[in-house]
Amino acid sequence: MSPWGIESLTGIRRYGRLIRTLMKVSLMRHMAYRPHFFMMILGKIIRMALLFFFFQAIFFQVNRIGDWTFDQVLLLFATFHIADYLISITFHRNLAFGLPRKVQTGDLDSQIILPVNLLFFVSLEDLDMIDFFSFLPTLGFLLYVFYRLDFAFTWVQVLIYILLLANALIFLYAVILLVATTCFWTTQSFGLAVIFDNLMRIGRYPLDIFEGFWKALFIYFLPLVFIAQLPSQALWKTLSWPFILYAFLITGGFLALAFRFWKWGLKSYLSAST
Amino acid sequence: MNGRENSFQARAAVAVQDLSKTYWFLEKEAGLSGSLRALLRGKKVFVEAVRQMNLRIQSGEIVGFIGPNGAGKTTTLKMLSGILHPTSGKVEVLGFVPHRREKAFLKQMTFVTGQRNRLFWDLPAAEYFQFCRVMYEIPEVIYHRNLHNLIAMAEIGDILKVPQRKLSAGQRKRCEIVAAFLHDPKVIFLDEPTIALDLINARKIREFIGEKGKEGDRTILLTSHNMADIEQVCPRVIIINQGKIAFDGPTRDLYLLKGFQKQIRIVLEEPRPANAFSGLGQVREMNGPEVWLEVEPARAASIASHLFAHFPVKDIAITDPPLEKIIESIYKTG
Repeated sequence: MSPWGIESLTGIRRYGRLIRTLMKVSLMRHMAYRPHFFMMILGKIIRMALLFFFFQAIFFQVNRIGDWTFDQVLLLFATFHIADYLISITFHRNLAFGLPRKVQTGDLDSQIILPVNLLFFVSLEDLDMIDFFSFLPTLGFLLYVFYRLDFAFTWVQVLIYILLLANALIFLYAVILLVATTCFWTTQSFGLAVIFDNLMRIGRYPLDIFEGFWKALFIYFLPLVFIAQLPSQALWKTLSWPFILYAFLITGGFLALAFRFWKWGLKSYLSAST
Repeated sequence: MNGRENSFQARAAVAVQDLSKTYWFLEKEAGLSGSLRALLRGKKVFVEAVRQMNLRIQSGEIVGFIGPNGAGKTTTLKMLSGILHPTSGKVEVLGFVPHRREKAFLKQMTFVTGQRNRLFWDLPAAEYFQFCRVMYEIPEVIYHRNLHNLIAMAEIGDILKVPQRKLSAGQRKRCEIVAAFLHDPKVIFLDEPTIALDLINARKIREFIGEKGKEGDRTILLTSHNMADIEQVCPRVIIINQGKIAFDGPTRDLYLLKGFQKQIRIVLEEPRPANAFSGLGQVREMNGPEVWLEVEPARAASIASHLFAHFPVKDIAITDPPLEKIIESIYKTG
């Protein structure tokens, strides 16, 4: 059985319908409060703009960061935020903050009894459709960076970029699931989730700024380099195949570990008294 | 292992063998210093919520599952519905092992708790019903037929478009029960469904459960502290205390337990002294011509005939002892 319980075409269609329903419910929930809905959209756009200005401010001071030119750093920045918004729309908040809250209050009970793969449901229950309003300008920004780089890359490089971006999302899913699952024993894993969130943000800088132990840590042990650096580098330099393979293998390992950890955690779930 | 189990279940809708559940928590004394001590070197306290429980419920039965707070009722229900993994022992519901969470099992089961709300807080109940249709893959025709019938039974037709946060607790609970029955579950676990509801809402929910139970092929296990729920809905009752079953039998049999007397209330044409009733039963209360007697259940009918023959009786009624009293006594004796 696959960890998300999707085994056949009928299963895929059913899960597709469920995702559509969850998207619809999420939008309707936000729309239930009119001022909130419009303020949320405005807030997301401001967040995106502030990040961009922050990065520009850095480059008023320096021309390069390590081996990275301004345009390459822009690519890294755009790639990081594409990944960040994609996880933000989908599983990030659901796992990192939603799951511990449900374990603490016992609200997970009503989801355990649903005839759906529980991990699928708790990962995607609240799809943040409002974040699409930040994601779309980020996507536009990425295309603008491609233009600045004169589209000086091959189709193979683009394919590797997409695969490595997908790998980044899976890696983030695995790590966030590992962190969130600790709540089955600690009841509240908010602290750990915040630590990881802050660590993850390091991934938007070229990791060349680190040296020695830290560089080794972020490349080999907690490979934040997978999030944005590796995909963006695929577009402007030749990555070694063994390293690409290493990235896929490590991500696969993290994912397998996270699934096992989740199963173990669920077995330890104690609910809360009514 | 996938599919239905055939080991010890043998046609029972619910079968439980030597079921136990132990959990732990960190003990904390009052105050900030207590919190600090618990944080640094908190003492683990283990609680045996359910102990070596054995139980069989046949398909179509409606069973009341009662006990004092902390007796293990909800923990048992959560193990039966697959929410909790047992510490030891076996559980089968409809031939499935609940905590394996097989889709075929989950589609035939529902669990409603009176103290939690699973509906979309910001949206009307109608949206949650649609969500259930997709989640349980209910065919369109069956969905509309069930929804129509359930809305009528639960009397929620006028609140379908109101966001849940604007409804009263009773209205929300009725919406939730409709959602729980939309997919025609075969096994229904109801954990205090009438808690904190006013008399009218509690009655409506009781009637709804009773109606559903009459459909024959449904198995309902209901916990409640409200004895009216048990008396009016459940032909069978299981009393659990300190994680163990203290009584399991027809609800009527509770009234026949040794030590519990029938009550005879008589109103006479004129008052009589208490000693006039000696040998018939114990005089519990006298209020002028109104007398309350406690008598052996087996002798109740003959004593009533004797009273008619030898006293100027204006009115007479034989009643069971209050169920609360019987159950309280079982709680105390364990």
